[in-house]
Amino acid sequence: MAKEASSGTTSLVSRPVVVEGEISGEENLHVDGRVKGVIRLSGDLFVGTSGVVEAEIDARSIVIQGAVTGKVLARRQLEVQPSGRFNGEATAASYEIRQGAVFEGISRMLGSKSQAEKPAAPAEPEMKK
Amino acid sequence: MGIFAKDKPESAAPDAARSDSDTAFFGAKLSIMGKVTGSGNLIVMGKLEGEVDLAGELVVAAPAVLNGEIRAVTLAVSGTVTGTKSAGEKTHLEKSAVVSGLMNAPRLSVVDGATFNGEIEMKKPANGIVPPKRSDKK
Repeated sequence: MAKEASSGTTSLVSRPVVVEGEISGEENLHVDGRVKGVIRLSGDLFVGTSGVVEAEIDARSIVIQGAVTGKVLARRQLEVQPSGRFNGEATAASYEIRQGAVFEGISRMLGSKSQAEKPAAPAEPEMKK
Repeated sequence: MGIFAKDKPESAAPDAARSDSDTAFFGAKLSIMGKVTGSGNLIVMGKLEGEVDLAGELVVAAPAVLNGEIRAVTLAVSGTVTGTKSAGEKTHLEKSAVVSGLMNAPRLSVVDGATFNGEIEMKKPANGIVPPKRSDKK
């Protein structure tokens, strides 16, 4: 299920596993468990439906099916899928927020000159479950 | 699915993580500083500094480098591990393993060629989990 990116290996934080601290590296990461702390990846981050991430995140593309809270930088794209919940401050080159997703917080466009803060409009007030 | 149940090659196959959703996998280019806990199994091929407390199997596969305090039910090492290690059931050191520090396991197997510098305790645990004994020995 993990998105295999061109950069190679995808590491996995499985459902029964909790990581507290800093995760960094030149890989993709799939989170089905819990991560609290900092995530810095040259690859992509995929948060599965059971994944819960409370972290400062720097990754290439970020796909959220579970729950993410924190300050997030997606150098390429931030995608919140219908089951996904994001709460925090996001900066991304592009956004894809599907119907049913929850996006609460601030969004900024990477590379835009003004980088004007704008409150992100929640796609739907309630979650589709 | 037991890591010890089958004769595995020296380097644990990372693809195993894909087929078993309870098995976490940290690749060779991933570094973790902090604490890893949980009830699943874990295969580490990258760098990990801190604490691992796992109610499952921990496989430290080359070229992994672990430094810290480790508790797991079973521990298989073909990489480098420094610090205190407690395995509730069994520890296995492969030929390429480089291990130092205190090791606590009721059952221990070491393949010819493995490097171990440190102290070994082989206590039979009452509840399956060996209580960690902190040691500053590195």
